[in-house]
Amino acid sequence: MAHPVENLSSIKLAWAVAWSAFWTGFPFKLIVALLLLAGQVHPWEGAGLVTLLVVSIPIDIWAVGLTARTVFLERLSMEIRGPVGVSLWWQGAVLGALVLGGAYYAVGTTVAVGQKVAAAIIALIKKFYPALPIAEQITLELLLWTIPTAIVLLVFVLLWLHLFGWRVKRVVVASGQTSSASFVERVRQWDYARVPADPTLVLVSFAGVIVTLTVVFWVLLPVTTPTPHPDYPLQQVQKASKPVKPEELINKTEATLKKAEAVLAALEKEKSRETTKGKSK
Amino acid sequence: MGSVQPKIKSKVRCVDGEVGEVAHVIADPLSLDVSHIVVRANGTERQVPVSAIGAVRDDAVQLTCNVAQFSGFPELEREDYVSSKEVEIPHLEDRIRVEPGEVLVPLPVLEKNCARRSFFAGFIKVIGALIGLPLVWPVLRFIMKPMYVPYDNHWIKIGNISKIKTDDVGVQYIFKKSFKDSVLEREEDKNHWLVKASPETLKKIYRHGDITFYDEKGAVVWVNNQTVPYVAFSGKCPHLGCGYKWRSHKTRGQVFLCPCHLSIYDATGMVLDGPAPRSLDVLPIKVAASGDIEIIDVEYKAGKKEQVRIA
Amino acid sequence: MNAIFQKVYDFVDERIGLKTLEAKLMNEPIKGGSRWAYVFGSCLLFIFIMQAITGMLLMFYYIPSADHAYASTQFIIHEVDYGWFILSYHFWGSSAMVVMVFAHMSQVFLWGAYKKPREMIWLVGLVLFVIVMAFGFTGYLLPWDQRAYWATTVGVEIMDKTPIVGDFLARFLKGGPTPGQMTLSRFFVIHVMILPAALMGLAGLHLFFFRSAGPAGPFRGTTEELKAKTDFFFPRQVWKDIVAMAAVFMIICTLAFIEPVQLLEQATPDPGEYHPEPEWYFLFLFQMLRWKIFSGEFGQFLGAIAIPGLFLLLLAALPFIDRSPERNIFKRPIALLSWTVVMIGIVVLTVSAILNREFLD
Repeated sequence: MAHPVENLSSIKLAWAVAWSAFWTGFPFKLIVALLLLAGQVHPWEGAGLVTLLVVSIPIDIWAVGLTARTVFLERLSMEIRGPVGVSLWWQGAVLGALVLGGAYYAVGTTVAVGQKVAAAIIALIKKFYPALPIAEQITLELLLWTIPTAIVLLVFVLLWLHLFGWRVKRVVVASGQTSSASFVERVRQWDYARVPADPTLVLVSFAGVIVTLTVVFWVLLPVTTPTPHPDYPLQQVQKASKPVKPEELINKTEATLKKAEAVLAALEKEKSRETTKGKSK
Repeated sequence: MGSVQPKIKSKVRCVDGEVGEVAHVIADPLSLDVSHIVVRANGTERQVPVSAIGAVRDDAVQLTCNVAQFSGFPELEREDYVSSKEVEIPHLEDRIRVEPGEVLVPLPVLEKNCARRSFFAGFIKVIGALIGLPLVWPVLRFIMKPMYVPYDNHWIKIGNISKIKTDDVGVQYIFKKSFKDSVLEREEDKNHWLVKASPETLKKIYRHGDITFYDEKGAVVWVNNQTVPYVAFSGKCPHLGCGYKWRSHKTRGQVFLCPCHLSIYDATGMVLDGPAPRSLDVLPIKVAASGDIEIIDVEYKAGKKEQVRIA
Repeated sequence: MNAIFQKVYDFVDERIGLKTLEAKLMNEPIKGGSRWAYVFGSCLLFIFIMQAITGMLLMFYYIPSADHAYASTQFIIHEVDYGWFILSYHFWGSSAMVVMVFAHMSQVFLWGAYKKPREMIWLVGLVLFVIVMAFGFTGYLLPWDQRAYWATTVGVEIMDKTPIVGDFLARFLKGGPTPGQMTLSRFFVIHVMILPAALMGLAGLHLFFFRSAGPAGPFRGTTEELKAKTDFFFPRQVWKDIVAMAAVFMIICTLAFIEPVQLLEQATPDPGEYHPEPEWYFLFLFQMLRWKIFSGEFGQFLGAIAIPGLFLLLLAALPFIDRSPERNIFKRPIALLSWTVVMIGIVVLTVSAILNREFLD
């Protein structure tokens, strides 16, 4: 008898895991991206992108593991032993790299060819209908090359989902154990998988992080606009610069120190008097 | 069986005898039908599924089971249910009417663990802080921008002493003051009172010595002294900021009188009567050889015993 | 401290039944369980509240006069502490509102949640959609710079093409035959008084209808599955809502941070070097009006009034035309196809409008 997982389409299974995993990890990555932005590093290029991708790895492993377990438990009534997240993540990543490589090439070619063909078609139309207005031309040309591009892209996404679904199924077949729990119990189980072992600790550390972030935000946020209007007469705040007279400053400081010394001496005297009083008593 | 409407307090009978009465009914939150009745029998409440009900009559519910089977039904776990009054399920109360009594709705399985609920409740507060907290400081600064501007220490020409004919009489000087008011360049009519003081009056005014004016950092801006016999009083009544006038009073003769709360001051600015907490405020004054008067438009907080400069 | 709080709570509870009210608000069973897909409505409410707060703050300094609107906006940007940030938040918040409206409407459409018995919620929602767009349109004029002035001029000319009432409507908005102080005053009042009042009232009605008819729930799953996953609005859905709100908040802050509002020159009836363009969420309509078939008086009417108007009417009539109780989007091919076509159309036209800029320099 075929394994029950074989009844599910691999694309649907992969979608169920990948889509929820994406959104599970999203808020955490968003925070990382925002922190990078606050530090004036663009998370979409260079070092920022590398940082974001590296930080995403543990987040994704955790998210894939969590959502995969949920999907198996709820839909297939299967419990999985072992590090599902790690195993699914690296397989998905390898497949992703392969498919992305192929997609990069294919989409690039489609865009290049598509744009050429679109331009040729427009030229042809213009031959017969020279008055083709610019607005129509732009939209027509855009559609002519984006539609095939979108289709190629979709094919690659489906390809990846199919391959990933195939790997997901293998994981289930290899290490899945049928759970005897009722549906209600299974829902409860995956729901509980989302509660930390020590809620108070998590809440307190979260609150700490938020207070820290708030202070960082206050420090980073410029008081006046970082992009002033070129014509705006900015009122330069002129600080009345007091001419510093070093001699005066020294004299003043000396006087203050002397005063302080006098006060200190007086205090000590009083103290010693009090202690002697106490002793005499 | 969807339309079963057992009445609260109606007798419940098994095939071999009466067992108790209906205490509550339990509704299915999805189908909005009665799923169980809760039967109170000898102090225990048992939940009986509607499938065990044979017939519902006006005053009694007939069960299809016998007494022995009845005692096999589970006891009601009240904490697993909420009253229909504490839960919002549209149309539930239109469908099931059991007045006066309680319709119970089972608590969803996911809501049964209190620790779980409180974790989420805590989380909501923490995330709420994430939204609210960052705004506190910028919003406060945004609102406060124009509230604590530096004092205006410009000298303004308000008129000429030739207008004053008699000693110890209040003379009003109305002048135009132009200033930047956010983005507007505005001009306002303002007024202060001048007194050409006789030597006795001058002595009274300067009874505590020279009058010194400070900026917000405590640096001296100007000192008025007795060599100038002209004294400028701020047109703002030190009681609550009304505009006072030089008037003749029935018993006190010529005085400064504030029409708002009837504070009365003499020509030296001292309070003769009324609620004012301090004398009239003296302004920095310069009189040129030509007789032109210049003042600094100093403003103090009203209603205080001491002068607190605000502008 | 807690004892005092408890006493105050009990005092209020005894008089207005606070506990029951609270329970009613919080304990709303969500069929099939709370979901991230349900956060859009709450996010809209949140964005609106933030728009109201930042809007009120801006009014501390803004002067709605043709002579001072531009200067006071510049004052907010350059002089008031964090003024640039509050204004930029308000600006990006309006975009977020439009994006969220599209997300919310799409979710309701794809879930088939507009169907019986929730038609009324859908209808009120459509009016709210129009109000949100009107907010964007009226708010755009207030800084009184070139961008503001020209977008408004074109927008009002479009409304002028409405049959019968068009001329009245355009004059009503402009407060006369040409734009000026009366236009600014009217847009200001509409933006800060009329629309907020309308939105608050209708959003309340929207929520009331929603609570009366109940949430639609997922479009598939057996009764047992739905029952097992059911939870209450509080705390799980509220938790998801607030996480989504925090994400929206952070995204708007980031946008305000990377791309703060910068005004153009003060409005004058000479566009100079500036190529007038509306806000990005109106760009698709703007680009469509450049097409040949929408030229001439009738063409204009067709493109600017008839097509958008008929589209709105179609949306309003939707729950009454589409009466099949089937809610699963994968079993409603026409609905899925129409949604896809409309979305692609909007995206393609918006991108076309951006590409079209090249041909203007």
